[in-house]
Amino acid sequence: MIAVQLLLLALITAAMAADGAGPPSAVRHLYLVPTLWAALGAGAAGGGLIGLLAGLLQAPLVLPAIERMGLGSRTLDGLVSLVTPVSVGWLVGLLVDASRGRAARLRAVLEIQRSLGREVPLEERLESVAEGVRAALGAQRVGLVVTAEDESRAPVAVPSGPGFDERSAAGLAQRTGRPVWVEDLRSDPRLGAPAEGGPTPIRGLVLPLDAGRGAVGALAIEREGDLTPAVRVAAEEMAMHLALAIENARLTLRQRRFAEELERKVEAATARLRELDQAKSEFLSVVSHELRTPLTALQGFSELLLTRAVPPERARRFLGHLHGEAQRLGRIVAELLDLSRIQAGRPLELRREAVDLNEVIERNVELFAAEHRGHQFGWAGCPRGLTLEADQDAVDRMLKNLLSNAVKYSPAGGRVAVAAGPAPDQPGMVELSVEDDGVGIATEDLPRIFDRYMRIANPETAAARGLGLGLSLVKALAEAHGGRVEVDSLPGKGSRFRVLLPG
Amino acid sequence: MLLLSAPFDAARRGHGAPIAAPCALAAGAALLGAAAGLWIELQGGGPPGLGRSAAAAILHAGFFAVGWILATDGRPGWPRPALSMAAAFLAASVGNRLSSWGVAAFLLVPLVLVGVSRGHAELRRIGLAWPKGLLPLTAGLGVGIFLGAHLLVTSSLTFGYGVRVANAGAYLSAVGYDVGISALTAEWLFRGALFSRWWRRWRFWPAAALATAVGVARYLLDPALASAVEVRAGAVFYMALLGVGCCALRAWSGSLLPGYSATVVFFAAYRLLAP
Repeated sequence: MIAVQLLLLALITAAMAADGAGPPSAVRHLYLVPTLWAALGAGAAGGGLIGLLAGLLQAPLVLPAIERMGLGSRTLDGLVSLVTPVSVGWLVGLLVDASRGRAARLRAVLEIQRSLGREVPLEERLESVAEGVRAALGAQRVGLVVTAEDESRAPVAVPSGPGFDERSAAGLAQRTGRPVWVEDLRSDPRLGAPAEGGPTPIRGLVLPLDAGRGAVGALAIEREGDLTPAVRVAAEEMAMHLALAIENARLTLRQRRFAEELERKVEAATARLRELDQAKSEFLSVVSHELRTPLTALQGFSELLLTRAVPPERARRFLGHLHGEAQRLGRIVAELLDLSRIQAGRPLELRREAVDLNEVIERNVELFAAEHRGHQFGWAGCPRGLTLEADQDAVDRMLKNLLSNAVKYSPAGGRVAVAAGPAPDQPGMVELSVEDDGVGIATEDLPRIFDRYMRIANPETAAARGLGLGLSLVKALAEAHGGRVEVDSLPGKGSRFRVLLPG
Repeated sequence: MLLLSAPFDAARRGHGAPIAAPCALAAGAALLGAAAGLWIELQGGGPPGLGRSAAAAILHAGFFAVGWILATDGRPGWPRPALSMAAAFLAASVGNRLSSWGVAAFLLVPLVLVGVSRGHAELRRIGLAWPKGLLPLTAGLGVGIFLGAHLLVTSSLTFGYGVRVANAGAYLSAVGYDVGISALTAEWLFRGALFSRWWRRWRFWPAAALATAVGVARYLLDPALASAVEVRAGAVFYMALLGVGCCALRAWSGSLLPGYSATVVFFAAYRLLAP
C-alpha cells in the first residue's frame, strides 16, 4: 500500500520539476493526495511518514528560492507547503487511529458482553473475552483471572498454561485493587526475569477488575513496543466493562438459580397442596362413612326397640350397643370439634389437674386388651412418685389415639408396650410411650404423619378405619401442654411414639 | 504468561551494577588517549595525520566502551572487549594512514565487533542481531539513499555546493572510516545502548528524541565539522532526521543493521559534497 503512495510522491515531484514554476507550482497541492491516502490507510504513522517525505521532496525547490529571494510572501507560501503535508497527514492519521481505536473498543466491549452471556463453561467464555481484548488493544497476549464466587474455590485463569500464581502481578493487582505496570517483562527484576531481555521491550499492564465492589479479578496485558496512553485508557475502559459484565453475569446466574429453586419449591408446594386436597376429599368420604356407621346402628336398634317386642335381656344388649355407638359418635364429633378449633387457630382448652397416670394407662390398656384379643399389651406400671400436671381428658385421648394406631397398624396382632416415667434425656419432662411391632413407617413418610387428614398408604393396613386426625390431635394436645411428640420407626419392624409432657 | 504465573516481588529493585564509575573510567581513558594522540600529532611524531587519526580512533573506542557498559548494565568484564575494539580501531586508522590499501582494514572492524560480542547473548537487547528478512535492510538503505540524495540536491541547489569526488583515495578513506568507526560507534552507542536503554524505561518518542539529541550534539562537537552556519544547521537537520529514522528502524526491525546501513549510505553521500 505504502509503495503506491511513494510512487505517487515521486510522480508529483517529477511533475513539479517539469513544471518549472518553482515553489508556487499548483502541482504541490497534489502532495496531499498520497498523504491523506496514507493517513486514511495506515493512520498517524503512515500519514506522518508520507507527509514528511512530501515536505522533504519539496525542500530542494523551496529552500533555494528562499536563499535567492529571502523570506517573502511567495517563499513563505512555499515554506507553508513544506509543513502542510506532514501536519495534515499526521493529524488526519491521529483522527483515523482514534476512530479505529474507538470502534475496536466498542466491538470488544460488545464481544465481552456477548461472550460472558453464553451458556458455556466460564473458562471458555474468558478465553473468548481475552482474545477479543487482545485484538482490540493490539497486544501480544492477554490474560484474565476471575475469582470464584465461592471463596473456597480456586480462581479461573486464562490462558491456561503454567497456571495462576497468587504471588504474581495479577494476584497483587487483584488483592490490592491497584494496577501494576511493568516496563519490560524480560528484564524487570521484580519478575525475577533474566537481565538479557530482547531487542524490543515487552510492556506489561495488570488492571484490577473492579466495578466498585472490590476486585473480582484482574486483566493482564503484554504488548511489544509501546503501550501508549490511548491503549492504556482503552484497557482501563475494557477492564471496567469486564468487571461490570462479570458482575452482571454472576447476578444473572444467581437470579437463574433463584428462579429454579423457586420453581422447585412451588412445584413441591403444589404437589403438597394436591396431596392435602386429596386427603381432605378422602377425609370427607371417611367422615361420612364413620358417621353413618354408628348412626345406622342407632337407627336400626332404636327402630327394633320401638317396633318390636324385644325380650328384656335382648333389649338390654341392644341398649348397650346403642350406648357404645353413641359414645363412638361422640368421640368422632369431639375429634371434629378439636380439628375445627385447631384449623381456626384457637388454642385447645385444657383443664390442668394432677393426673394419676398409672390409673389412666391401666384403664386404657385393659380396655384395648379386652377389645383386641389378638394383641399382647404390656404395661409395667409407673415409677413411684411420678406426678403429672395435665388435662386428664387430653392425656386419655392421646393415649387412646396412640393405642388405637398401634393396634390398627399391627394387623396381624403382636406386642403393644406402654411405658411412662421421667424422660431420661429430657430433665423435667414426663415420657409416655407406646411401642408396637407393626408395619412401621417409611423414613420419607415420617415428616408427614402428624399432618391433618394424612393416612399413609400401606397395602397391609388398607382396611384400617380412621379419619387421619389421630396423630395430628396428639401433636396438638402435646404442644398445648408445652410438650411434643417424637417417633422412631422402621418399616417392617414397628414404631415407637413418645409423648413428652412437662412434669 | 509471566504476569499470571511468575511470582512478582514489588519491593525488589534493579540488580544491575553501578554504571557511572565504569562509564567515567572508560570516558576518561578515551579522553586521555585522544589527548596523547593529538600531542603526538603536535609533536610531529610519525607521519602527518597519524596522531589525529589515532586520537579519533581512541575517542570512538571510548564511545564503544561506554556503549558496552550501558548495554550490559555495568557487568564486570567490559575492559576486554573495549580494549579489543580500541585495538581494532587503532589498527585500522593507522593502517589507513600508512598505506593506500589500509582502507580495507576498516571493513574488518565490523567483523571484529561480531567476534568480540560472540557469547554475549545480552547484547541482543541493544539490537546486535540480524534483522528478519531483507525488508529492514532495504528500508535502511532507502532511508540512507533518500536523505543522502536530499542532502546533495538541497545543498547544491541552495548553497551551490558541488557534488564530486576530487580524490578517490581520500573519498574511500573517509567512507572506510565511516564504515569501520564513525557509523559503527554511532549506531552502537546512540541507537544501541542509549535508545534501547531509554526505550525500555519510556516510550519510543522520548527515547528517540533524547538519543538523537545526544547524537546530534556529538556531531556538533566534532572539530572536523565546518563552522559555517548553513553546515551546522544542515547537520542538525539531517542528523536529527537520520537519528530518528535509525531509532525507528532499530525499533521496527529489532536490529542495528538497518540503521547502520542508512548511516553509512548517508555519510557516503555526504562525503561527495565539496564547498
